[in-house]
Amino acid sequence: MHVSLAQGLQYCGLCSRGSCPLVTIPRPIFTWASPGDNNTKGLKIGGGGWDKDARTMWKEIGDREFGKLRPNLFTNRIRSTRLSSLQLSNYKDIVSPHRGSVNSLQVDLTEGRYLLSGASDASVAIYDVQCATNYEGGGLLAKHKSIINIDKQHDHGHKYAISSAIWYPIDTGLFITGSYDHHINVWDTNTTQVVVNFKMPGKVYRTAMSSLATSHMLIAAGTEDVQVRLCDIASGAFAHTLSGHRDGVMTAEWSTSNEWVLITGGCDGAIRFWDIRRAGCFRVLNQSHSQLGRRPPLLERAAMNKVSSSKSSSTGQSSSVKARAPQRKMAHGNGSKQSAVSKIPSQVKSSARQRLHPGMLSSQDHATAHYGAVIGLKVTEDGMYLLSAGSDSRLRLWDIESGCNTLVNFETVRLQTGKAIQLATTQDSALVFVPCMTSVKVFDVWSGKTVLSFRGHYEHVNCCWYSSQDQELYTGGNDRKILVWSPTKFVSDELDEWIKRGKASALDQDNWSD
Amino acid sequence: MMEEEREKAVVVVGLIENATNSTAAEVDPRLLKAIKYVVRNSDSELRLAAQTLMNLMKRDHSQVRYLALLIIDELFMRSKLFRTLLVENLDQLLTLSVGFRRNLPLPAPPAVASVLRLKAIEFLEKWNASYGMYYRQLRLGFDYLKNTLRFQFPNLQANGVRIQQERREREMRTKEILLNKFETLKENFPSIKDELQSTLDEIGECLEIVTATNENVPMDLLDDEEMEEFRSSELRQIRLDSLKEAEKVQETGDNKVVFDVLRELYKLLVMKHLVSVQEWISVLVRVEVADNRFRDSALKEFIDIRNHLRSVKKKCEEAGCSLPDSKNHEEEDIWEEGTIESFENWNSATLDKQSDDSNIASTSTEVKKKASKNSNKKEDSNEKMDCEGSGTESNPQRSKFLAEAPVMKWGSFLDNWDKKRDVLANQRGLELENHWGRVDYDAVIPAAKIAELNVQATVYEEDPVEIQPCRARLSKGGLCQRRDLRVCPFHGPIIPRDDEGKPINQTSLTEEITPDFGSNLVEQLAKQAVKNIRDRDIEEVKKREHDKKALKRAKLAKVREHNDAVLRELAMASTSRSSAVGEDIETTNGERSSARNKKQTLASMLKKKVTAKDRLAQRLLNTGARDATTRQLTLGEDAKYREAFPNQW
Repeated sequence: MHVSLAQGLQYCGLCSRGSCPLVTIPRPIFTWASPGDNNTKGLKIGGGGWDKDARTMWKEIGDREFGKLRPNLFTNRIRSTRLSSLQLSNYKDIVSPHRGSVNSLQVDLTEGRYLLSGASDASVAIYDVQCATNYEGGGLLAKHKSIINIDKQHDHGHKYAISSAIWYPIDTGLFITGSYDHHINVWDTNTTQVVVNFKMPGKVYRTAMSSLATSHMLIAAGTEDVQVRLCDIASGAFAHTLSGHRDGVMTAEWSTSNEWVLITGGCDGAIRFWDIRRAGCFRVLNQSHSQLGRRPPLLERAAMNKVSSSKSSSTGQSSSVKARAPQRKMAHGNGSKQSAVSKIPSQVKSSARQRLHPGMLSSQDHATAHYGAVIGLKVTEDGMYLLSAGSDSRLRLWDIESGCNTLVNFETVRLQTGKAIQLATTQDSALVFVPCMTSVKVFDVWSGKTVLSFRGHYEHVNCCWYSSQDQELYTGGNDRKILVWSPTKFVSDELDEWIKRGKASALDQDNWSD
Repeated sequence: MMEEEREKAVVVVGLIENATNSTAAEVDPRLLKAIKYVVRNSDSELRLAAQTLMNLMKRDHSQVRYLALLIIDELFMRSKLFRTLLVENLDQLLTLSVGFRRNLPLPAPPAVASVLRLKAIEFLEKWNASYGMYYRQLRLGFDYLKNTLRFQFPNLQANGVRIQQERREREMRTKEILLNKFETLKENFPSIKDELQSTLDEIGECLEIVTATNENVPMDLLDDEEMEEFRSSELRQIRLDSLKEAEKVQETGDNKVVFDVLRELYKLLVMKHLVSVQEWISVLVRVEVADNRFRDSALKEFIDIRNHLRSVKKKCEEAGCSLPDSKNHEEEDIWEEGTIESFENWNSATLDKQSDDSNIASTSTEVKKKASKNSNKKEDSNEKMDCEGSGTESNPQRSKFLAEAPVMKWGSFLDNWDKKRDVLANQRGLELENHWGRVDYDAVIPAAKIAELNVQATVYEEDPVEIQPCRARLSKGGLCQRRDLRVCPFHGPIIPRDDEGKPINQTSLTEEITPDFGSNLVEQLAKQAVKNIRDRDIEEVKKREHDKKALKRAKLAKVREHNDAVLRELAMASTSRSSAVGEDIETTNGERSSARNKKQTLASMLKKKVTAKDRLAQRLLNTGARDATTRQLTLGEDAKYREAFPNQW
């Protein structure tokens, strides 16, 4: 397998783009179906059934009782039904103490309970999204006030806007903020003191930490500077400087399948993949390298496999994907890491880096993923796809395996161009939440169709975070608000609550006097 | 079924469009009622209404948006479904009604746009106050406008609450104060009573002493005089009266001390005790306490005390001490002394039957003095006169004179007021009766001449007439404040109007006025007769006109009826639709007369009003005028140049 990969890569490097069969030859569209893919399919079905009412839900519960439905499928269905009924929550208010636009939102990855928000008035706040601090309106409105609020008055607080605030992925004891005042601070949550402080060469646009890293504690920082820096919390120094971008780096994301792979998007429109164990980037995404459908077509691959080694690199890669895919798919949880981890580096190690000398690289090196800056990146939970948003108001879905643009046409109207935006996906990566100007739109990842549109902010929305645990969406915008979008409660639930609170909902009723 | 639904839908859309297609500042109440009625009965109608209203809000005309907003408010406050439909797009609604986005300002006309904005903000506040709890979007919108964009909300409710709170606090405070007073009264009640009692006792003693001394004195007098002369009852009466008079002023060196004390006590009684007792009574009346027993008893006692005090006061007054005296003194401090004197003088003068020349002269000089003192305060002095008159009402004759007396401006003729004598001519311009020179008794100016010289001259002064404002109703609200004598250039002849600006019926006014016209009965009768004849004439003319009009109207009505019938046939069977059609025609008919002279339409509202400046600009800035100006200027310059350099060609 290694051999074939190497050959493929080598070949790819040699073939010119015009003759690449992937681009030119029209092919039948194939969706990849295998026995191991049942899970995904089920999810899709669940996602499709938007207007499922309570009766089907009861039926499903019955099915689950009799063991007709697998638990995983069942939870996924419930989740997707709840997701389809998301709307602006009237009963849950997050009282934002910010006096500037909210730039970053994240719920902690361990408990799913604490929401961290960073705003452009240099303040960070943490809210408990599960327990309200107080109730208003006769217990009807749950107010979630910030339990920690750090602003400019703090001794070591940031001076300028905070562009990024993230939790330490392992626990809630630490959080990291990056600011336009060129600093990245690592905070102890309990004492609200700065533990480590990194001085960056320019404004910090984005910080990221790998959620699966077990062997490093690196903060990837995208700044005004062309170089991406990795800050090591353990040592308090820069571990790496990754150079390759030609302009500032707006976004940075760690791969969700490999702890060593970092993906960055720059103002030059390039999306680069880095293996942090090696120097230089190993892949630049090219918007004109495209494939139709979610996977490279199967037939062709088979044919190519037969014809073997005289094909382009991308097909070679994809053939390897095909061979391995079912098994990886099945175990894609934590267990899959090993295989995934082994895969890309092996690729890299095998030949590409050594063989593709800098001169040859230059054609690839100038590839762009968007016209204009890349302002948002999001790797799907399974680590197989990458969503990118650009200041050209496009949203693109990339197959990470092949590095190809999947040509899904997302019905975005306009994206804001000046700032980085924070995308969010559901756990089954069926839907993506995209801040589009003053609204947040939900797209079907595979078809690009608009599923829902959330209008509530009065100014541009900068960030959103989907909590798959509670099926709640949090959005923050320039109007300084953090809005909660939650599934509608069942009517009976609401009534119960009313009765519990000893109040009649008669106040909000029709009132026809004439 | 579908057909019917669609028809109905057409109805509500038509109604809303009719209602918003108006230049009035309010939605036609009948149409509004119809909309509400239609929408109330079906949810689909309501949905459609919401949609239509949102579409109308997008119209590029502030008036349409304004009327749509008014309807939205009506429905919003009534229907839950409408609320849920509307809050979905609240940001859009606010954008269109408040115009807070810079790239989406409110459309023309600007006057209506500002009203629209104010109204929208007011509505948002109201909605938020009543339904904010149930709709997060409302809260968000309100919060955004208030805290981020810092819009000024009218804050009606909060203001009301605050005012109420303040009032309540004030009441509480007064109550507390009253209660405190009550408590102190409770503590001090016996001592207060003691104090009062002691004063009363003292007064009583004083009075006793005084009366005792008084009794002694007249007895002696009586004994001394002959009794027979007082036999007749008349005389006795006179004598008793005089005795009483005597009693009053009886204040000799012996009892002076007593009188002084009595006066002091009296003063104390009136100035302090009576007032304080009155105060305590009012406190007791107003205070609210749980235990009423003490209050009632105290109140009773205080009232008794007050009555007692009053009786004592009366007695004191009978005995001859009077506080008004002191009051008068106080007043004198305020008034100028000279004037009082003069009045006293005048008083005596008028009373005096044998009024001789010198006396009158003195009064006139006094008056003159006074007049010169405050010649610019005529009214002031008049007031004073009145006050004096009322102060000394005991003198009816004087007041009668005063009423008759003319008010004169000061002038030199006052010097020779009522004098009929010759005046020595004075050649040197010096005072006559001094020793500076010889007096020529022959050089005399005869009285007639003097009188001729002193003919009193007055300058005609127009009565200040307050020119009434026109007060015609303005299209943008409010009344015309233009003040013209007879005709307002914009609203025609100035006629009395009510607060709304509608003309009050003229005839009733003339009727009101006519009785005032002449006191002469004959004249009045004649006028009445003329008027009657005229009225009859006018009525006849009117009647003829009326007939003509009626004929015309009948014809029109016929035409209209026909049209209506045709329209009705054409229109769908739905009743509300057809009624709406009829309504529409009626309203247009009614408006036709007004439209003839005004023609207010939505389109005309958008037209820019032509101002004087525009007209001037049109005159002055057209190319012909500009060319002429430049030509003139260059010509002038040429001439100047030629003058300066006559030898250059």
